[in-house]
Amino acid sequence: MTIQEFQTSCGAIEQEYKNKIAQADSLSAVEELRVAALGRKGALTELLKGLKDFSIEDKKTAGPLGNALKASLAAMLDEKTEFFAAKQINDELNKTEIDLTLPAYPVAKGHRHPLSVAQDRMTDILSRLGFEWAEGPWVEDEKHNFDLLNIPLHHPARDAQDTFFVDGKMPLVLRTHTSNVQSRYMEKHKPPLRIMAPGRVFRNDSLDATHSPVFHQIEGLYVDKNVSLADLKSDLTAFMKGLFGNKAEIRFRPSFFPFTEPSVEVDVKCVFCQGEGCNVCKGSGWIEMLGAGVVHPNVLRNCGIDPEEYSGYAFGMGVERLAMMMLNIKDIRTFYENDLRVLKQF
Amino acid sequence: MKILYSWLKDFIDLDLTPEELVKKLTDLGIEVASVETTGADFEGVNVAQIIKIEDHPNSDHLHLVTLDLGGAKTQRVVCGAPNVAVGQKVPLARVGARLGKNVLKPAVIRGVESEGMICSSDELGLTQTRARGIMVLDENLELGTDVSALYGKPDSLFDLEITSNRPDLLSHLGVARELGALLNKPVKLPEIKDIKGEGKALEVEIRNPQGCPRYMGRIIRGVKNTDSPEWMKTRLAAMGLNPKNALVDVTNYVMFELGNPLHAFDLREVEGDKVVVRNAEEGEKFTILGGRDLELNTNCLMIADDKKPTALAGIMGGLNSGIKDDTQDIFIEAAYFNPPTVNKTVKKFAVSSDSSQRFERGTDIEGAALAMRRASDLFTQICGGTASEINDVYPEKFENPTVEFTPAQINAILGAQIPEERLKEIFSRLAAEFHAGGGKWTFKAPSHRRDLNHKWDLAEEAARFAGYDMIPVSSTKASLAFAENPKGIDLGKKFARELIGFGFCECKNIDFVGEKEIKAFGFDPKFCIKVKNALAQGWDYLRPTLLPSLLKNVESNFRFGNTNLALFETTKTFQSIKGFPVEGYGVAGVLTGTLEQEKFFGAKERPVDFYLLKGIVSTLLADVEGVTLVPSKNVPGYMHPKICMDIVLGGKTIGLFGKLHPLTLKAFGIKTQEVWAFEFATKLIEKAYSAQDFKPAKDLPVFPPSLRDLSVVVDKSVTYAQIASALDKTPLDVNFSYKLIDLYQGEHLPEGKKSVTFSLAFSHPEHTLKDKEIDEAFNRIVEQLRTQTGAELR
Repeated sequence: MTIQEFQTSCGAIEQEYKNKIAQADSLSAVEELRVAALGRKGALTELLKGLKDFSIEDKKTAGPLGNALKASLAAMLDEKTEFFAAKQINDELNKTEIDLTLPAYPVAKGHRHPLSVAQDRMTDILSRLGFEWAEGPWVEDEKHNFDLLNIPLHHPARDAQDTFFVDGKMPLVLRTHTSNVQSRYMEKHKPPLRIMAPGRVFRNDSLDATHSPVFHQIEGLYVDKNVSLADLKSDLTAFMKGLFGNKAEIRFRPSFFPFTEPSVEVDVKCVFCQGEGCNVCKGSGWIEMLGAGVVHPNVLRNCGIDPEEYSGYAFGMGVERLAMMMLNIKDIRTFYENDLRVLKQF
Repeated sequence: MKILYSWLKDFIDLDLTPEELVKKLTDLGIEVASVETTGADFEGVNVAQIIKIEDHPNSDHLHLVTLDLGGAKTQRVVCGAPNVAVGQKVPLARVGARLGKNVLKPAVIRGVESEGMICSSDELGLTQTRARGIMVLDENLELGTDVSALYGKPDSLFDLEITSNRPDLLSHLGVARELGALLNKPVKLPEIKDIKGEGKALEVEIRNPQGCPRYMGRIIRGVKNTDSPEWMKTRLAAMGLNPKNALVDVTNYVMFELGNPLHAFDLREVEGDKVVVRNAEEGEKFTILGGRDLELNTNCLMIADDKKPTALAGIMGGLNSGIKDDTQDIFIEAAYFNPPTVNKTVKKFAVSSDSSQRFERGTDIEGAALAMRRASDLFTQICGGTASEINDVYPEKFENPTVEFTPAQINAILGAQIPEERLKEIFSRLAAEFHAGGGKWTFKAPSHRRDLNHKWDLAEEAARFAGYDMIPVSSTKASLAFAENPKGIDLGKKFARELIGFGFCECKNIDFVGEKEIKAFGFDPKFCIKVKNALAQGWDYLRPTLLPSLLKNVESNFRFGNTNLALFETTKTFQSIKGFPVEGYGVAGVLTGTLEQEKFFGAKERPVDFYLLKGIVSTLLADVEGVTLVPSKNVPGYMHPKICMDIVLGGKTIGLFGKLHPLTLKAFGIKTQEVWAFEFATKLIEKAYSAQDFKPAKDLPVFPPSLRDLSVVVDKSVTYAQIASALDKTPLDVNFSYKLIDLYQGEHLPEGKKSVTFSLAFSHPEHTLKDKEIDEAFNRIVEQLRTQTGAELR
């Protein structure tokens, strides 16, 4: 056999087997071809046996040629084998019968209370605006709940709060607002201070669709040099946009609170009726969201801060009112009934 | 405060629609609670008299009513009102009449033509009582009279919510002044014909000048008490008052008009010739108008004569000196009473009046004189009589403080740039005594504005009248002093997050509970915080425990058909120690039914049991160092006597968990299902745990553990704790952990025995264990269990 004849034979084997492998249509056909080409008596094996008679020079050409052909046929055969092995598995899988539309198994999942959802949202926004979390007692003395906050004894503003009084050694009340944290915090800390105080408050109001003797507020207080009503407006605008998006409509109205001067009421356009007027907004199209203002100089003075040197703003908002808007809850009692059908929605 | 548009127009020229006025008032900070239309909004309704009533042929409740219209005309209408009677004078709307927006058309009612309608007061728009029955008019009215003429023109009534700092707005004059300043319009005072008094009034002696800084009095003799004129009655009715008689009505009228309450005494009942303003004696008795008896104390300021008190100053007159129909001589009082003085008495007796509401907030001390002149004029116009001189005791003239300020200070408070000219305009409209010279400006508020005392007050006025839109939205600035969240807050959130992960739903409950519930949960009411003015029975105490509220939630959810519940609450709990309040923070939960919350097709539901609860509690507290769970020694009565464990931290019991006693459940109306519960206080945990602390990660073992199962048989009485303790104490040269994987008693075991199977894991930090090492360790464990618990290898 000459080297040329060897080369021609290689070409013929390659041609023949590549065609056959490509056409093989089963695992057994592939295995038969493997034996026919590469088996002990296979076509290529037989051909390669002739290599030993070549000169060293010719071996250098013929050897690599033969080995390369062997490798390439083996690779083609392996590929085909894998293909049919995979096909076999897939055919098996495709016999599966299952009704995927059956309902899911219940996965036990707990739920955060809607008021917590609302409060978390609000405190998250405030903490991004730099407010630290502060706390105060719920059973409070009259000094911190009223006196220091410029709500004097024998003043109608004090009577208007519908206070719960508590039996005890000293005259105590259930705090009527989270503003007690203002007086508590300012007694202990000096400006600059920037705090929020979320928590429960108590008013002697009967439970109905819009009133609850227990509800939640979030207080905000910022005291430093040169804090003005404009700072309040910017921070509250940022807060409301954080809650309702950039389209939120807000209005400021003058109001009165004993512990702020000037005082403002912040309204948000009613989300139930888009300002058309409905039961929730009592037909006005606006919902009172919160009360706020510049901290009254008497309050600063009462807490040992010089109002000529420092100024501040304060605000207090009801969590229920906001949660009712955000979560489309129309009756405040819903929050305290803890009906699973409601809780599971949040 | 109710404000009638037409009355307001007596003081200021206005041409605003109700909506426009609401907007202006709102912009000024005066909330408008409601607007309603009053007066007669109808035409073509006349007075007619019923002369005959026949039964309707086709109805057992309708009548055919024949009416005399006057001028010998009659008409027949169908009427279903229960109160029709022959002889009544009634408002008759004939076909073509207009009632509000509706025009009356001819109607055939059950086959009989009705030529008109006898109206109820609701149908005329005069009331909204929804009462059935026709309106019966005054029998003296002439037939054919236009009924609308009796009620005046349509008008608007605004219900304003006046904040307690603005008593001046509790009058039509005050609201007019506010609008005048906003709209730059002059305010006209009522035209008053001045009466030159003849003769002396009563002498006035003020014994408490602090409580009563000014007292004016005047006598009018020979008055004839009569009905007030219709225009006054209409206005008072709009204010929500029932007009009584002219002498009483005039005092109320002037109060609603000018803001100064007045009081009229029947001079017959005043003994002696002196009025004394004094504090009551302790225990002094006094009967107020309406007949209620009060026992006074020395805080109560009284108006008295020589012998007796005649009025509770500024609040209410006495029964003894009130105006009567036959009153002929009166003494009129116009005074200023100190707000806290009035407030104390109002609160003590829970008596309140339109008068006291104004005095409590502060009336216009100078305005008292105007009110006296106005009332005198109205009294003599309506009731005749001869007025005496006015006795005005006003020893120390009231002065508002002069505020010195700069326009820059006003703008600094507001963060605004209101031009100086605009500020000047605003302040000069508010006070005659405003001077803007050079750098320092001075402002002295008029006597009706006692709320303007310093530059912050003036800043608010500037903002109100310039409009809050003047205040810019600047960029947020913040000065920060970093502070940690309160630990209790972080901890509450952590537990809430984990419980929600376990499948619990968060509840929020009202903090009040009743004495029965407190006792049922083992608390002594003496050590609980009691609310003095509780809203309802069963809401007398602040919760010392959260479990009663959660059980109520279980019960109400059962009623709604939710029987698989995992509920929790984290909030404050309250107790009282030696009369001082102690606020704690608690975490509590209840479990009942299954955790999956519903039946499903795939597998069996797994009902809640003790070990699931234990798993929840121990996982919840896993990263709180030092927590142990031990069987309760003293199980509280509300728990199952055998299924209750204590949660112990640092030697102190901080909570418990287990099965609730069936009788506890029964008391809460839960009869069908077992309920599991846990509750613990977080105060001690706060000390042991800090959310801010990082916990260093442990190194992982390099060599894998070798596993062996171990089954032993022990006496039934041997507890798991005894076996675990023996395992923990086995001396070994290798690391070792174990897990209980099976517990069995019954068939194939001797009586009184149980089989316990553990999966054991052996490892060594430095090499993979050889079989020999494992065998040795395994054998030592078997030996240990045998000697310590009598266990036999199975």
